[in-house]
Order: sequence, then structure tokens, then C-alpha cells
Amino acid sequence: MAKAKENKALHQKIGSGIWKFFSSLKLTITVLILLAFVSIIGTVVEQNQPLENYLMAYGEGWTKFIVYAKINNMYYTWWYNGLILTLCLNIIVCTFERFPTKWKSLLKHKPSKFDATTIERFSNKRTVKLNAGFEETREHVEKLLKKSRYKTLKFKSEKDEDFIYGWRGVIGRFGSDITHVSLLLILFGAIIGGFYGYKDFKVVYTGDTIRVPDVDYHLRLDKFWMEYYDTGQIKQYNSLLTVVEDGKDVLTKQIWVNEPLDYKGVRFYQSTWGNAWNRVKSANIAMIGKDSEELYSVTDIEWQVLTPIPNTEYNVKLIGFAADFAYDEASNQVFSKSAEPENPAIQIEVYRGERLISSPWIFVNYPGIFPAIPDSDEDIVFGGYMGVLYSGLSLNKDPGVNIVWLGCSIMITGFFLTFFIYHRRLWVHVRKVEGGTEVSLGGLINKSNFVFEREIENIAKKLQGDNKK
Amino acid sequence: MILSLVFFTFSFIFYLITALVYIANWFVKKKWLGQIATTMAFVTLFSTTMVLIMRAGESGHAPFSNLFESMVLFVWAVNIGYLLMEYRYKFKSLGAVIMLLEFLAMLSASMLPYRFKSVEPLNPALQNKWHFMVNFLEKFGLEKYAIGWLDFHVFCTFIGYAAFAISFGLAITYLVKNKYEVKGKTNYLLDRFPDSKMLDELSYIAIAWGFPFLTLGIVTGAIWANEAWGRPWSWDPKETWSAITWLIYASYLHARVTRGWRGRRAAWLAVLGFLAIIFLYWGVSFILPGLHAYA
Repeated sequence: MAKAKENKALHQKIGSGIWKFFSSLKLTITVLILLAFVSIIGTVVEQNQPLENYLMAYGEGWTKFIVYAKINNMYYTWWYNGLILTLCLNIIVCTFERFPTKWKSLLKHKPSKFDATTIERFSNKRTVKLNAGFEETREHVEKLLKKSRYKTLKFKSEKDEDFIYGWRGVIGRFGSDITHVSLLLILFGAIIGGFYGYKDFKVVYTGDTIRVPDVDYHLRLDKFWMEYYDTGQIKQYNSLLTVVEDGKDVLTKQIWVNEPLDYKGVRFYQSTWGNAWNRVKSANIAMIGKDSEELYSVTDIEWQVLTPIPNTEYNVKLIGFAADFAYDEASNQVFSKSAEPENPAIQIEVYRGERLISSPWIFVNYPGIFPAIPDSDEDIVFGGYMGVLYSGLSLNKDPGVNIVWLGCSIMITGFFLTFFIYHRRLWVHVRKVEGGTEVSLGGLINKSNFVFEREIENIAKKLQGDNKK
Repeated sequence: MILSLVFFTFSFIFYLITALVYIANWFVKKKWLGQIATTMAFVTLFSTTMVLIMRAGESGHAPFSNLFESMVLFVWAVNIGYLLMEYRYKFKSLGAVIMLLEFLAMLSASMLPYRFKSVEPLNPALQNKWHFMVNFLEKFGLEKYAIGWLDFHVFCTFIGYAAFAISFGLAITYLVKNKYEVKGKTNYLLDRFPDSKMLDELSYIAIAWGFPFLTLGIVTGAIWANEAWGRPWSWDPKETWSAITWLIYASYLHARVTRGWRGRRAAWLAVLGFLAIIFLYWGVSFILPGLHAYA
């Protein structure tokens, strides 16, 4: 029984210890500086590179460490996000710790004690003596405070003596809380986006229709084109996209860099472009005799279109292209080593009349290494081609992004309140003295003493100045 | 001839003169020297404004699309910020510090290689305009002057940088003056500066302006990135460094209300923050690879 009690006490002690740890402002500063410091590492060590790059740059020992601590993908590690989580807990605990008392004390405007000595304790204070009568001065003070946008409260009124309390800009005190909560909201939005969103990239050719993950529509690229400046620099690249839903075209939009298409929660971005490595628009071929160098029946053939070669019995169809030809023996497949036209080759189907007789690869750089027409004195050579541009589209679904934007706007609002709205409290004591009235005023501001000093001086001056008139 | 570069040369000379007059005014307090200093600050402001206007005319877009142009914007914003501060708080001695910083900034801008100074058309990612503005200006045939998130992003960021530069100057002055004050020593030149409490407050006010603008800069940058690349945040070195400076200034703001951290430690954080800004601005562009390589 006694032990259970002890245990409970211990739990409470540990609990309050943890609570205290997370409610400390020193923790805030430490975590902020620590986060700043470790973030630097991720900018110096390039992120998400192939392993060889790290080996080359840092050697084996450091690479092992980099991989072990996941510094190659640092911003997504448990320890980096742990720091952010610590900051969040810090914010939550601090808000719980401070906000309720602050809320109560700020809404309860009446100060607990206000007598003739109160004002003397403030560092910002001023006393003026006026010739005017008590009643007149008192009204004047209240009017002046109202004019300076103070809300006022008569603390107590006695004969020949009045205690007035004024305040302004209470809302500025809540700016920091609003900012803190907005930061949590931004992180929450980021997490939502991470869990329920996706990012994808597609290489799309004109006329192609692509499937969009998670939604019930397709997307077709109708056209892709580039714009240039007079100097030859690229000005812009554009894609004309059509949304196809249930087999019907529902929407067509031209997108470019900085102008995405947004449809049912998925955004389509013009992200890159490039020369196709596995298809062409058309190719230029010609016939050649085995023993002569002379070309004849030069003709252009379009992609996937069966075309007769003039003055011969052959028809050809262009069915494949590799910009940088390579052959994989294991899978018996042709592929392009790179996107650069290092070794361009096309595959054609050759028909004698209507009968398919061969489907060879022919090369620009190596004419005749694979005879295109078996058992014949003639061969086909590949002279050149017209390339095709592809449009690189990024697909992005991010259901959290609007929460992030909301958080950002709240944060900016919070900053405005924090930095530009000062909470001022003013205590004014008006009393009748021999030959006139004495006004003492003094008070507190949560920031920028300078502003307040000046304001008190101004009010005092106005009291005197208006009085002289 | 590129007229903006002519105005740049003028501004460069003017900043040198302005800095010298402010320093002279700091050494010997004469009313007329102070008046000349302030007048010169306005002359330089006008000249710097002309650089920006000419630049906009020459390039046909907002004049902050490369490092050189943004430096001019930075210097321009610091100038305005300083003049506002002088008008409000009447401490001309601080002009010696701020205008010296301005001159150093102009010097570094002038030393940039020519390829940074030439007028360039915008690459595709930089062409970001607000639709409503394009539509409105189209009625007058002025649509090429429309601006967008990108311009807003750069503008906010540089107001922030400018405020931080001012706070840096003030924090350094604070640290020097405070050191002497603590020892009970003083000298004529230090006496000419406001007392360290005031310096600390002014430095805070500068950061109180800079921080929301830096935040706005980061946020609008994220909005633009989301439109151009499909993601608001991608841990690009420039982005990460902007977060680093944001964190440092956030820690400054918390340090200022924490016992044991206010005063000198907070001032050091303000200095550290601006050093991070310099790296964010120049270092990242030249040393680290990333999407912001052009500016």
C-alpha cells in the first residue's frame, strides 16, 4: 500500500520532470540552434546520390558512417524528425503551460491594486500639473486616451481623486501563440501530404494516353512544342493536355512551366522535355546495290506506317529506334544505353509484296553489317531521321498542401500581431491639488519601450498644450 | 551602352561619399555635416532607384532576376530602411555603420563578373505571373510588366535581408559598446552611439521587420516552387539554408525573452543570423549546387 503510493509519487515526479523539461524556453533555443546546425550537414553532403559518389568524395570509412546515420537522406531520418517532434512537444507543452493564465490575466482588465504609489514604480511615467479644474481635466484625460485608441476603465472614483486604467493591443500578446499553433498546422499538413499524396513522373509522347494513379480518368497529350527567344535560348515549353473520362474528352488545357493543370485533386506539371531515345518521327532510307556505292530509291518512312520503296518490290515499316544502340544478350533485347544519339539505329520490317521477309536493325554509322534483305543483291541503308520530343510531366497529389498554406497565412498573421501590435497598459491618477489639477501617468508595454516613452510624453504634452489654449 | 550600369557606377560613387560624410559626422558632430549626410543618403537612394527602373526597362521584367540585380535591390532596401530609422529615431551616428555596410555591398556587387551584370531573358521556370494581373494589364498592352509569385518572393526576401543587415550593424555596434560599458570605460566615438539598451532594442526592431518578411519570402517561394516543380519544399540547399537562417532568428527571438540569453548572447545570434544570410545569398549560389543556381 505504502509502496504503491510511493510509486505513484515517483510517477508524478517523473511526469512533472518531463513536463518541466518540455516547458523550458532553454530547450526551445537549444533545439532551434541544433536544428539549424544539423541542417547544414545535409546541404554539404549532397542528398540521395548513388553510393559511388559518396565513396569517391569521402572514402570508405566516412561513407559507412554516412549510410549508417542516413546522412544521404538526412531530412527524413528518425533523428532529424525527432528534433522537429521535440520542438512540437515543446510548443504544445508551453502553450498549455502559459496560455490559460495569460488568457485569464489579459481578459481580466482590472488591475488588482491601484493607488497613489502604483505609478511611481513604473520606469515610464510622467507627472504634469495643470491649471484646469478637476472635472474638466478628468474628462480631458479620458478623451485623450480614447483618441489614442485606449480602452479605459475607471478603477475607482473618489472625491477630488480619480484612478483611470487604460489598455490597448491585448491581441498582440496572442500573436506568439497563434504563430506556434500555425507551425504545428504546417507540419500537420506536410504529414498529411506525405501519407495520402504521391508524386510521379511520366515521359509522354504526342498522342499518348497515360493512366493517372488513384483516379478514374486518363490524360492524353495532344501536342508538345517549344518556344524560343531571338537569341536562341529556350523561352518556354508547352503541352496541350486533354482529360479523358469514361472515354469522353472532358477538359483540354495548355500547360507550361509554372502553369499546371489541376483536375480532381491531381496536378500535372510541365517539368522537363527531351529527345526521345526509343522512337522517331520519320527515317530516311535508301536502296544500295551490293557491289556499287550508288544509292537509289531514297525515301522517307514514317513511324509505324507501311511505305513502298519506289521502283522496287519492297514495302517497309519503321518499328523501332535506339538513340544509343545496345544489345542485351541475356534477355535478347535491344535498348538505348543513353538518351544521346551516340549510335542511332532503326528497326524496320521489310515486306516483299505483302510477305514479311525480315525485320533487321540498321545503323547510320555501320551500314550493311546486318543485311536487310536476305538472299538478295540489294540492301537498305539508314541515312538519317527526324527525332521526336517527349514531354516530361510530373504528377502530384498533395491533399495536405492547402493545410500548409492555411498554416502559413496564420503564421504571417501571428507575426503581424506579435511584432507590430504592442500591448500597452496605462495607469492614470488625476487629483485635485492647490491651484489646479495634477495628472500622473505611467505604465507598461510588452515591447519597444521607446515607443511607449514617446507616447506618454505625447499625452503629457497634449494635456499641457491643450490646456494652454 | 546599358544605362542601368551607368547609374550603378554613379550609385557606387555616391555610396562611398555618403559613407564618408556619415563617418565624418560621427567624428565631428556638426549640424551641417549631418544635413549633408542625410541629403546624400537621399541622392544615393534616388540613383539606386534609377538603376532598378532602368534595369526593368532594359530587360522587360522585374529587375531582380540575377545576383547583380538582387544586390542592387538589397542595397536599395537597406537605404530605405536606414532612412526610415533615422527619421524615426534620429540617431545619425548609426549612419556611419550602415552606410559603410552599404558601400561594402556595392563593392562586392561591382566586383561580380560581367556575365552576372548583363541583361538576360527569363528561363522557363522564372516566368511566373499572376493571371489577374496579366489579364488586367493586357487591356493596356502592358502585360509583359505583370508580376507574379516569383517577383513577390524575391522582393519580400530582400526586404528581410535588408532588415537583417541593419540589425547586424546594430548588433555589432551593441557588442562593442556594451563591452566598454561593462568595463566602465568609454570613449568619445562610442559615446556618439545610442546607449547599448537602445541599440539592442533597435536591433530587435530590425529583426522584428526582417523575420516576417523572410517568412513571407520563404512561403511565397514555396508557392512558386509548387507551381513550377510540383512540390512546395524539396530540401534544395537554398531552401535548407533559408530554413537555417529562419531557425537562427527564431532562436534570437526566443533568446531575447529568456533569462541568461538576452543581451550579448542574443546579439551574437543576430550576428550569426546575418552571416548565415550572407552564405544563403552568396555562398549557396557559388559553392553548393541546386535549383537556385541563377540567383
